[in-house]
Amino acid sequence: MLREYQEQYANTNEQFVFVNKIGVVLESDNVLFKIAKDSSIFDFHLFFESLESLFDGNEEEETKFHCIHIYIDSDLYIVDILAVVKRAGVLLIIKNLTDHYNSYQTITQTRNESVIKTELTVLKNLELQERERFKNSFIQNFSHELRNPLMSIMAISELLADTKMSNEQLQMLKFLKESNMNLRLMLEDTLSIGMIDAGRLEIEKKLFGLQRFFEFIQFTYTAKAKNKGLKFVCSWDGKIPEFVEGDRLRLFQIVTNLLDNALKYTEAGTITFEVQLNQKRANKASVQFRVTDTGLGISLENKEAIFESFFREDASENIKGTGLGLTIAKRLLELMGSKIQLTSELGKGSDFYFDVLFKYPLLSSIEAIPRKNSQEAFIGSLGKEQRKFKILLVEDDEYVQTTLFKILLNTNRFKIDLAYDGALVFQEVVSNNYDLILMDANLPNVDGIQITKLIRDFPFKNIKDIPIIGITANAYQENIDQCLNAGMRKVLIKPFEKEELLKAIAKALK
Amino acid sequence: MLKSKKIVVLGHFGVGKTSLIRRFVTDTFSDNYTVTIGVHITKKVVEISVDKTMSLILWDLEGTDDIASIRKAYLLGTHGAVFVFDISRPSTFQHLKEDLRIVTEQMPDIPLMVVGNKSDLAEESELKNRLQENSISVDFLTSAKMGTAVNELFLKLATLLSSDA
Ligand SMILES: Nc1nc2c(ncn2[C@@H]2O[C@H](COP(=O)(O)OP(=O)(O)OP(=O)(O)O)[C@@H](O)[C@H]2O)c(=O)[nH]1
Ligand SMILES: [Mg+2]
Repeated sequence: MLREYQEQYANTNEQFVFVNKIGVVLESDNVLFKIAKDSSIFDFHLFFESLESLFDGNEEEETKFHCIHIYIDSDLYIVDILAVVKRAGVLLIIKNLTDHYNSYQTITQTRNESVIKTELTVLKNLELQERERFKNSFIQNFSHELRNPLMSIMAISELLADTKMSNEQLQMLKFLKESNMNLRLMLEDTLSIGMIDAGRLEIEKKLFGLQRFFEFIQFTYTAKAKNKGLKFVCSWDGKIPEFVEGDRLRLFQIVTNLLDNALKYTEAGTITFEVQLNQKRANKASVQFRVTDTGLGISLENKEAIFESFFREDASENIKGTGLGLTIAKRLLELMGSKIQLTSELGKGSDFYFDVLFKYPLLSSIEAIPRKNSQEAFIGSLGKEQRKFKILLVEDDEYVQTTLFKILLNTNRFKIDLAYDGALVFQEVVSNNYDLILMDANLPNVDGIQITKLIRDFPFKNIKDIPIIGITANAYQENIDQCLNAGMRKVLIKPFEKEELLKAIAKALK
Repeated sequence: MLKSKKIVVLGHFGVGKTSLIRRFVTDTFSDNYTVTIGVHITKKVVEISVDKTMSLILWDLEGTDDIASIRKAYLLGTHGAVFVFDISRPSTFQHLKEDLRIVTEQMPDIPLMVVGNKSDLAEESELKNRLQENSISVDFLTSAKMGTAVNELFLKLATLLSSDA
């Protein structure tokens, strides 16, 4: 009775085989495999062929082999084999553990793959970093060397412009100057990357109007996109605090670099700029900035590389710019403790976004900032006198022009003349009675700093003392000092807010 | 008479042990990685000279990043060994000296081939530099993918084994 049950429930996973010292099978219970009596175990499977040395071992010596793969008629068995040396031969106990080992294989597969992938990713990043570092130091040195010859080319172009030239020559000179400008922009970008690398750039934490910032971008880029026949869609999340603490200038650089990049690589469709609140906690707000386009797109393998300097997805010549915009954006974000994210599909477009954590003042402190009535306050501060002040705006960037016009004309207290070119400023200044000059410090031909110096050296008091407010995108202290030393009253750094501008004007007019 | 010799192929995981054997035995290659667990055993008969053949029993062992943890039973009765590393992954050769010391300690007095695999993934000159920097000397630089030096490797080992016997 019991014997019957034993047979029924006996271990069907384990086979016992007994062989003599030269490998001839004496007995086998054939639970797993048919192993014929009197056959040689060495012929049954390759595994046993390498077992010979074991057969001469001492009695009761046990050797266990784990996880041996055995194919019998194309069926795979994964088994453990225990070999025990006995006096008359060797006992082999074969245990079928196929299921167990199959799940072990799955686990090991996942583990090994992820370890290897991690290692290769780390390696690749190291390589990229190394390459980037090498390239940057090379470029830094090179740019530095380029500065002087470029300065001479620019100076000589100026001199040339004053000589008698045919129309054709003038045309050529114009191109020459444009190329000089591009080269100069490129050098500036390169050197600013150098500043970041050298840790000489600090991120400010100053209160500024984030919503105003958004509106400024919206205004400027709507026009730029329109120029290229593109749609520009903006969205602002009303839950974002109006005022935040941060570095407005750097944020501006990041956002405009992304937008310029989108403009550059999009020939048709829409560019989107979205500002969304991720969350607010205590007095911190995490805000997401997102720029999407329907342009060229970036292939998967270039996703990292596009943030390297001078990289281009499309090597074609007709795309202008320095190739440094995204690198600068990435580095600045790193300084802010954030990271640029990118999803893109070749031919479909790109989607760049990043999060910035801003501190923002709680309600009571916001009250301290004059906002709603700033305009009235400003007009009041100009005094009872109802005449309109005459302002000369010297600015070559038409977007900035438009913005300033809009702000100033809204107050209804100003008459504004415009000069694009440094060379024209004197004529205007001499023949008009200006109360104030608003001047871009970085004009194409004669720059704002030089003009300011010349005006200050003028022999007539009414001209010599005209207050000048400088406007610049270059926030380096040395640049600002140059402006002030030349005789500007105040320097506004782009992008600035309306209040800042009006306040500066009111102060200068007193 | 056909002599059979047991050869173990070992090294860190993913270095191409299985691929080398596969290239040698069936002259094929796959880019997919299937992790080996335990051991797979295959055989290939090689002709050492005109009238001399040898049967190589190749033990393709599970890779591990800790060579000391290889199960001793697998190494019993081994006639020759191949230690493989991956030239594209420094972690597989960073401790090569120590790894080889452990291997020879466990299998003294047998021929051992040191192989840098995946040679197709680097320029030859760069590769030589890399090995020199790490003061590594190898017997063969192979590519299971391209078939470079794979037959040579096993034939060399077989030749060494035949003169041993
Ligand atoms: N480029 C290249 N890839 C190779 C070469 N040899 C192997 N590979 C690849 O490397 C991966 C691992 O190869 P395997 O042969 O499975 O490595 P293994 O050493 O047997 O790995 P384990 O069994 O886990 O120890 C696979 O994706 C192979 O396609 C080679 O010579 N060149
Ligand atoms: Mg393998």
